Amino acid sequence: MIKAKQKPIAEIKTLIAPYRNILILGCGTCVTISFAGGEKEVGMLASSLRIAAAMDKNAQLFTEATVQRQCEWEFIDAIADQIQKADAVISLACGIGVQALAERYPDKVILPGVNTTFLGMAIEHGVMVERCRACGDCILGLTGGVCPIARCAKNLLNGPCGGSQRGKCEVNPETDCAWQLIYDRLGKLGQLDRLSSLMTYKDWSKDYDGGPRKIVREDLKL
Amino acid sequence: MTSEKRDLAPPTVEPLPPCAATCPAHTDVRGYVQAIARGDFEEAYRIAREPNPIPYICGKVCAHPCEDQCRRKDVDEPIAICALKRFATEKHDPRLGHAPRLTQAEPREEKVAIVGSGPGGLTAAHDLARMGYKVTVFEAYPRLGGTMQVGIPLYRLPRETIDLEIAPLKELGIEFVTNVRIADVDGLLSDGYRSVFIAVGSHVGAKLRLPNAELPDVWLNTEFLRRVALGEKIDLSHRNVLVLGGGNVAIDVARTAVRLGAAQVSMSFLESDETMPAHPWEIEEAKEEGILMYPSRTFKECVLDEGKLAGVKCIKVDFRGFKPDGALDIDEFVDTEHILAADLIIFSIGQGPDLSFLPKDGSIAQTKRRAIQVDPVTLATTKPGVFAGGDAVTRVGFIIDAVAAGHRAARSIDAYLRGVDPRTVQPDESEKLGAIQEKTISHIRKLEREPLPKTDAATRRATFDEVEHGYTETQAVRAALRCLTCGAGATVDTDKCIACLTCVRVCPFEVPGLERGTANVPVEQCQACGLCATECPAKAITMKLYSDDDMIQDIKRAIKRAKSDSEPAIVGFACRYCAYSGEEPKVVQARFPKNVKVIDVLCSGKVDSLYLLKAFEYGADAVFVAGCIVGECHNDKGNVHAGQRVAYVKKILDELGLNGARLEMFNTAPGECTSVVEDVIRLAAKVKELGSSPVPYPSRAGRSN
Amino acid sequence: MKVSSNLERILTSGQFAATGELGPPKSAEAEVIHRKAALLKGYVDAVNITDNQTAIVRMSSISVATMLLGIGIEPTIQMTCRDRNRLAIQADLLGASALGIKNLLCLTGDHQKFGNHPTARGVYDLDSIQLVAMVKALRDEKKFANGEAIDTVEPRFFIGAAENPFADPFDYRPYRLAKKVAAGADFVQTQLIYNVPKFKEFMKRVVDLGVHEKCSILAGVGPIKSIGMARYMQNSVPGMDVPEDIIARLKGVPKEQVRKEGIKQCADIIREMREIPGVHGVHVMAIEWEEAVAEILELSGLLPRPRV
Repeated sequence: MIKAKQKPIAEIKTLIAPYRNILILGCGTCVTISFAGGEKEVGMLASSLRIAAAMDKNAQLFTEATVQRQCEWEFIDAIADQIQKADAVISLACGIGVQALAERYPDKVILPGVNTTFLGMAIEHGVMVERCRACGDCILGLTGGVCPIARCAKNLLNGPCGGSQRGKCEVNPETDCAWQLIYDRLGKLGQLDRLSSLMTYKDWSKDYDGGPRKIVREDLKL
Repeated sequence: MTSEKRDLAPPTVEPLPPCAATCPAHTDVRGYVQAIARGDFEEAYRIAREPNPIPYICGKVCAHPCEDQCRRKDVDEPIAICALKRFATEKHDPRLGHAPRLTQAEPREEKVAIVGSGPGGLTAAHDLARMGYKVTVFEAYPRLGGTMQVGIPLYRLPRETIDLEIAPLKELGIEFVTNVRIADVDGLLSDGYRSVFIAVGSHVGAKLRLPNAELPDVWLNTEFLRRVALGEKIDLSHRNVLVLGGGNVAIDVARTAVRLGAAQVSMSFLESDETMPAHPWEIEEAKEEGILMYPSRTFKECVLDEGKLAGVKCIKVDFRGFKPDGALDIDEFVDTEHILAADLIIFSIGQGPDLSFLPKDGSIAQTKRRAIQVDPVTLATTKPGVFAGGDAVTRVGFIIDAVAAGHRAARSIDAYLRGVDPRTVQPDESEKLGAIQEKTISHIRKLEREPLPKTDAATRRATFDEVEHGYTETQAVRAALRCLTCGAGATVDTDKCIACLTCVRVCPFEVPGLERGTANVPVEQCQACGLCATECPAKAITMKLYSDDDMIQDIKRAIKRAKSDSEPAIVGFACRYCAYSGEEPKVVQARFPKNVKVIDVLCSGKVDSLYLLKAFEYGADAVFVAGCIVGECHNDKGNVHAGQRVAYVKKILDELGLNGARLEMFNTAPGECTSVVEDVIRLAAKVKELGSSPVPYPSRAGRSN
Repeated sequence: MKVSSNLERILTSGQFAATGELGPPKSAEAEVIHRKAALLKGYVDAVNITDNQTAIVRMSSISVATMLLGIGIEPTIQMTCRDRNRLAIQADLLGASALGIKNLLCLTGDHQKFGNHPTARGVYDLDSIQLVAMVKALRDEKKFANGEAIDTVEPRFFIGAAENPFADPFDYRPYRLAKKVAAGADFVQTQLIYNVPKFKEFMKRVVDLGVHEKCSILAGVGPIKSIGMARYMQNSVPGMDVPEDIIARLKGVPKEQVRKEGIKQCADIIREMREIPGVHGVHVMAIEWEEAVAEILELSGLLPRPRV
């Protein structure tokens, strides 16, 4: 799922400085699960910004709403009135939701309230980790189910670099070395021989290097 | 539905916690116990009073079947529900009225006669009077209260307590006629009473047909208790008293005999020690008072020695109860015949109603067991307009059963008089919450039941003064805090739930799960700790007993009260389980500076991060959360969550330039309430140095958003 | 002979090689390069020119290598995958070859986080093994990475790779080295070695795999300047294994003699390296201490350098 983190309040204050009526709009799916932009976080941010406005003696007014998914026209159309009444909307959705709003409401100022951070999961409550880079060309079948693109700081495809120590990554000692994990997994699967063959250059054109990506299912089009 | 009916309706939360479901009057036990836990004693009284016009009496002598069903018994011991009801009545300010929020309808013309002023009669009279009827209560004895007046010994129920309940009934306009034994029910109907409720109780004791049982020194329980209750001076000094029977009344008889100076009081009965029908606590107290128990005996003869009563001839038995046909299932042991010595024998083997006043034509039918025959739903007798309830119908029951019968009769009579089928006005039987699962029980903190203060046995042998005494405030709150809040936990709004699993992960009691793609918090398992509701990122979980809006109103009020001085306003959230550490909250709070106002919570884990921010938004200059020390939380880790939230909100405050130092978490160890007082004083001093919050009060945000 | 560089000739002739290292300046100053080069000239068979070492911006490896060619020192350029994609790397290699550079060390590169531009985007289009394979294909198959043929002159390099015997998983390291060799590495320079017993174990496994017969292995060595530096390497440099006895030896001498002792210790390690089967030479990394190189090699008995 998409994981996001709320922006620092100072940055949000700067973004909204020119506006008076501000709608704080949450999204009820991924960002809710990542504790960044659900109804609860909308309430917390609204309260924080009201405090900030009161401290700065400015006359900003904040309203709150949360839709099920900001990345669907139908859901954001359902609160069109609230959006229209606002001078600016702080979207606590991922970048997709922010852009959906901007596209649907061309004359409305739409501002991001979170930093969309990665695709991942919670390995324990409150601890979310990256698991997928959406590179467009999955190699997990070759790497024992551990992704070296998302989980190796250098995207290595042919084994761990010299910084792998005691199973951890040199870039962050709290991060597992993806290649140590791959080595251990393939060992358990009896497939260590896979690590001897050269994995050739990756086709990055399927990643963002190929330009904005698009999936079209002709069979589904209306 | 008229307002008075709504007032009198049983609580509506379904399914009911076992305490309320078991209570024949469906008293919202959880409601008043929780109110005591919160320190809202008047609210506790109001809740306890609502379904029960005699709460003072019930607080002292209710048989409290609710406690037998209390789910806390599966963890350690049941909540001391009865004692807490007593506490609520003792805390109640009588100037607020006996029934603070109950209303009385416009007077109606119809007259209703109530025969008997026991708990059933009083309750029916109360309800009907509130519905506007003209009610007359006829009482055969000189004093009102029925069994409560002429049966229950004084050491259990001082008569002033009865007076406390009767006086307000008179204020409702109920007419009480004492010393009148109704002999003619039909006469009442022809006298203009449109309906009659027979609640004559069960005042006729019974003897076994033994040789010599008619001697003057062989007495009956009911007569004996009545004579004592009505003030007759009976001197039993130098008497050796043997009470035959092992029920609660037998215990009353025996303990009364002790107080009348008997040299020795013994009890003998069919049942074994283990199966003796009296309540265990009654047996315990009787034994403390020196009463000897001779269980597992059947009686053959009252024996004489030189013309005087010398005892009872007994045979030891194995009594296994009653067979389906009503006969005793019993074996006598051979060669066990012996005599229990006594010069006064009092039979207490049961009692029944005096039905001699019923019309001779049989128009009010009786059952085979010599009780009045009624429709169990409506309590209608076989004579139209005449209803009956209480012991006159059941032969033997608890006071609270009679109260429930009184309500039922009142509803039926009201319906009857309005021309409505009485069957349609009685509530459906309420569903009862199931048991708590093992794994959840294993996470529930065990807490000792608070014993009720009692006069020591030696002292009480010589007096009819009350044996039991009420809880102090501290004891009562501690006793109430043991309540598991059954059935009032979390509710999931499945439209908002996105199955993020937060509740599943944070619940200390392993309760929530997923069902059809959304979270499910089984009502019978939830311990109402509130952690899932505070942590839910989708705000899909609410608690039955309080809402975010309630809390925010509390916060606003607290700030307003704290702000009344020119000092900075400090708002605290204090966990009632620990922050006061056994002290009375108001005593501890009195030691706080005046500009500190506290919102009590049942576990600091219920303090949402949002509440902390809101307090600052609405103009608080500082906020604190007082919880237990780590490892001592009632809900496992509620205090740890609270601490983490405080740390998180402190960062937000720093980011806002409001200074995170204005928010503090205090953890109080058991027995160290001075530490929270010191912490709060220190915070107050620090805030004074920091000065007022830069958020103006009343905040513009608070007004307009 | 693949490219007939001095280094390749030394190794092919079966002699024990000694290479050095020169770190380019964090400036456009040419003078410092001349000064450092003078300290190395004649004492080593080739000099590695690092490529934005530890992700700190420095003068480019190819530029400095070109200057060394002018001075008469054989350079080994280093190329990391961190800063360039496959286009940039191939372009630079075409140019380097044209300028007469013959040795190339292929590296993934230290992560940008550790350098002075930690917010820079890391490229990592290729990893070091893919880089080795690409360079080999350029040289031996005259093909670009996309398979397109090089019509005229192909870039020719004596291809080097690095390996850290002390990184984890230890058991996999010899196989990874074998994989690099299979991809086309002609020589390998290892991470700095202080834990000699562990290195011996590594080499035993390498020899068992026969890797030493397909490529030349140069053990990385370097003198320790101070006890502080030793501790830093011990605790803070990922993939470094500095055993306590190494530090103890330096602690055993008066403070003013630590440098001297460090040089001696390095020479002693080199002597041990010469005895390890499968080790074909040493790569001396005297970081910002080029003065020490001559003395170390002298003490190790590796001077004068052979001419082949």
